[in-house]
Amino acid sequence: MHEQRRRQLEELLAADAEHGPRMSRICACLVAELAVTGAGATVLTHLNDGDGHDPGRGLVHSSNEVSAGLEDLQLTVGEGPCLDTFNSGGPVLIADLAAETSRWPAFTREALELGAAAVFSFPMQVGVVRLGSLDCYRDAAGPLTQAQVADALILAELATHAVMSELDGHDTDDVSWLADSHAEVHQATGMVAVQLAASTETALMRLRGYAYTNQVPLAEVARQVVARTLRFSPDQP
Amino acid sequence: MSSAREQRLAATFVTLADTLVAEFDVLDFLTLLTERAVELLDVSAAGVMLSDQRGGWRPTATSSEHAELVHLFASQTRGGPCQDAAHTGAPVASPDLNAEADRWPDFVHAATHAGYHAAYAIPMRLREQTIGSLTLLNNRTTPVDQDSAALGQALADVATIGLLQHRAVHRQETLSEQLQAALHWRTVVEQAKGTLAEAGNLDMHQAYTLLRNYAHHNHRPLSQLAHDLATGQHTPDQLLTHHHRPDTHETQPPKTP
Repeated sequence: MHEQRRRQLEELLAADAEHGPRMSRICACLVAELAVTGAGATVLTHLNDGDGHDPGRGLVHSSNEVSAGLEDLQLTVGEGPCLDTFNSGGPVLIADLAAETSRWPAFTREALELGAAAVFSFPMQVGVVRLGSLDCYRDAAGPLTQAQVADALILAELATHAVMSELDGHDTDDVSWLADSHAEVHQATGMVAVQLAASTETALMRLRGYAYTNQVPLAEVARQVVARTLRFSPDQP
Repeated sequence: MSSAREQRLAATFVTLADTLVAEFDVLDFLTLLTERAVELLDVSAAGVMLSDQRGGWRPTATSSEHAELVHLFASQTRGGPCQDAAHTGAPVASPDLNAEADRWPDFVHAATHAGYHAAYAIPMRLREQTIGSLTLLNNRTTPVDQDSAALGQALADVATIGLLQHRAVHRQETLSEQLQAALHWRTVVEQAKGTLAEAGNLDMHQAYTLLRNYAHHNHRPLSQLAHDLATGQHTPDQLLTHHHRPDTHETQPPKTP
């Protein structure tokens, strides 16, 4: 069911391949499939160095000017649904923004003025590795349906994969590792971070790089690390 | 039923209903549910799967983090009693898993490999909403008896109510937000387990036990501690040295890579 819908959405994105960068196409797909007024994404252009602080300001994609304004606004006022997704770990779904003035006073006031009545944010992250967020808005209040939430979660997964690929230059079709059933990928990431005395971000990049260079699925590389038959060393390139 | 068991059962129901404490943690709570199910229902192992909000179900907590059991629940994403119970909202009894090899080939293969021969899956639901399921496993081909089944359903029900109640009071988040966050924190916990396993030469079950014990001892939410480990704000050494190590084999030489 999930797999089938993911393939459908991937095909929609592929059919649209001539229309700009992948993240812009994902925003367009959100607008079409979720029946939202606009969609935007803030993508972190570099990863943090493991000190736990937020990486610098990211690159913004958006389907219209209001969405671009909403992305900018959150970065300016330092509050809003997209920033909250990172703290809660899950999406932030606000069907009626006017009712949220106490939660984000500055953001809500200006977002309503921009024309947003409902906002929905979906984090792009792999555990503690933060990559950005996908943010949608509607000009009328009202919740997303269950099917629309499901589509947004799948698109956020595809977007997460796209951002990882752009950051480390290892573009593969293997998105299966993002599914939770591959717990070993995440366990291996933690192990390699200790082996390299590096951040979780760096460890994930190294694992992906090894999988890419050796043409082995990431889940298999992870299995070897967890079985302690493969180790990484800081001295290797 | 012995009075010690009755007392333990009563205490479990209170614990599962008590979700409004400051250090409440969804993953810790679901692990507790699986542990108490094993203890009170006379079964060998248990696990919880939660809705991934995309039409699928993902393993979220198991009564032990040994690789074979975790793998067994992961294999269920392609069909198994736990998934069927969650889909239909009705319990699924499989007293002899060998007879179900055609129905759930991956699950039965993983189950028998891990030494389990009977399963009983209970939906976690409140009124019309099913958020996941609790599966009981036996290492004998013994059906789960009626009393244990009824008690298992009661444990699953009170845990579901506890979760939904925590969500309603803690913050007005939607069920989608809460369930999706739980899956995210599961990934963070896996990353943290990796750092502990590597730094302390522990297996994943030992790493998870250490993480949980340390969180309980210091009254910290499990997920928050896992986050601090995975971001390097907390070092594995702090856990490995400042807390007794859970059933580790200290004399065992490090495994060669």
